[in-house]
Amino acid sequence: MHWAELIAELVLMPLVAFIVGLFMVLMMRKIAAKLQRRVGPPVLQPLYDIVKLFGKKTQTSHGLLHDFGIVMAVGGYVAAETLLPVPGMNGIAEKGGMITLLYLTMIPSLGLALGVGQCANPNGSIGISRALTAMLAYDIPFVIVIAGVAMHFGTTNLVDVVAQQQAGGFESWGAVQMPLLALAGLFALQGMLGKQPFEIYVAPAEIATGPMVEMGGKFLGGLFVMQCFQLYTASVLYVTLFLGGGENWITFLAKSFAVLVVPMSLAFLFPRYRTEDMLAMLWKWPVILGLIGLVFVTN
Amino acid sequence: MSDNELVNQQFPVKVEQPGGSGNIFARVFDELTAFCRSRSLFILHYCTGCGAIELPPAMTSRFDMERLGISPMVSPRQADILLITGYVSVKTLKRVILTYEQMGSPKYVIGICSCTVNGGMYWQSYATAKKLNDYMPVDLYIAGCMPRPEAVITGLRQLMENIRRGEANGWQDYYQRYDHYLGHQQRLFGETWQTPTDVIAEAKHYGLFSNETLGEHTKLLQQHQKPLEALEMRLGLDSKDKVEP
Ligand code: SF4
Repeated sequence: MHWAELIAELVLMPLVAFIVGLFMVLMMRKIAAKLQRRVGPPVLQPLYDIVKLFGKKTQTSHGLLHDFGIVMAVGGYVAAETLLPVPGMNGIAEKGGMITLLYLTMIPSLGLALGVGQCANPNGSIGISRALTAMLAYDIPFVIVIAGVAMHFGTTNLVDVVAQQQAGGFESWGAVQMPLLALAGLFALQGMLGKQPFEIYVAPAEIATGPMVEMGGKFLGGLFVMQCFQLYTASVLYVTLFLGGGENWITFLAKSFAVLVVPMSLAFLFPRYRTEDMLAMLWKWPVILGLIGLVFVTN
Repeated sequence: MSDNELVNQQFPVKVEQPGGSGNIFARVFDELTAFCRSRSLFILHYCTGCGAIELPPAMTSRFDMERLGISPMVSPRQADILLITGYVSVKTLKRVILTYEQMGSPKYVIGICSCTVNGGMYWQSYATAKKLNDYMPVDLYIAGCMPRPEAVITGLRQLMENIRRGEANGWQDYYQRYDHYLGHQQRLFGETWQTPTDVIAEAKHYGLFSNETLGEHTKLLQQHQKPLEALEMRLGLDSKDKVEP
């Protein structure tokens, strides 16, 4: 590939991810509003929030690591976007693959842990310890799911995975071939997005939004940007692994938004679990589902 | 030349005015920021008085504040508006001021209920702070005992309009006339009253230092002000803390 084209893709992919992510945040808030019989925020509300937060005059920083944590949180996702193949753009997906992606999606939590640690706010520390415990909980089923998909398609290359599913049509989609793993993946997705009942590390009523408690101005703005990326990464990864990736932008976007509707609608059915309950639940059900699913994997 | 002008020359007061600068791009950018500020308001509701009960209907399905871009937040660092719903006792007021000083500028204060205007039915109470804007700059009052959710929403819309036009500048007043506010605070809490926030340094940082930032009350503050110390962390109880059976 020509290097200029590659650079253009590396810039465009996170940009597209951010814009799509803004609409995903909007959809999340709209679904919440509809389920609570409200009207919900205006279309550009996520953008207003971000511009306002970056436009604040006070930017209370608690030190260098606090700044650096946010950069890591956003940067981890920006790097992850260039590894996710989207219609017409592969970026460096062929060189990275699932394993690299798995690592990159952990960087934001670790960055946040560093940054929040320096705030020295007890609520933040509790929040971040919960977030890392949550990561421990959903990463086990997540790794099983990734391993199953890699075994099924005989590759860890995401571009290959998409190509194989698209060549075989609907019957060769990951979700049709490996329904149990797809289900376990949905479980892990719920945990990864931190949606109820796994909302343990935000918990506004109890630890004042945990990791976000000391974040104002551009720090909170950075986290809002991170949320856009997070929703995008999780849903696009799911679409790539199980729903045949994107043939064109229309089906691709339709699939990614549809994937997110599941965790967001489920979120309002449940109260919040305790941390140990979350661990028990995620290590039991999706792991069992995933292991049974692994048995049926063939390539 | 009056005293006021003299000090203003020494410490130029930079007051943000939308559309004030000559550069067209800067102006577009300022207008955009002002617009986004007015359309995205995170409220921190300090619900101590009875008026707080009108906020749930204003937030939920009946009136739905989120349509205006207003959403509740739980930490002062994240909030733009401090919503004080009803009477504040002297004890509460200390916490309210601590909270206010931790919020990031630009910040706004809304006093809901007659009690924040003039003490309301607690006019003769010894424990209630009567006029809220003696202690912190209130941008908007929503009067009533208690105001209905429609009134709350109307008040918020008025504040949005003020912010968009760049008129909600109460927070600047706090830095410019800190001595005035501190004086009232000292009258209630005693002369040794101090907050962890260095308001005077912040005033300098924003370029909002004026001849009323310092005064006799800030002098008093500087006499006893101690730097903030980290809390001591201990495991277990010391012998003197032990609870007698
Ligand atoms: S004005 Fe009335 S409703 Fe509001 S706090 Fe005072 S007594 Fe309560």
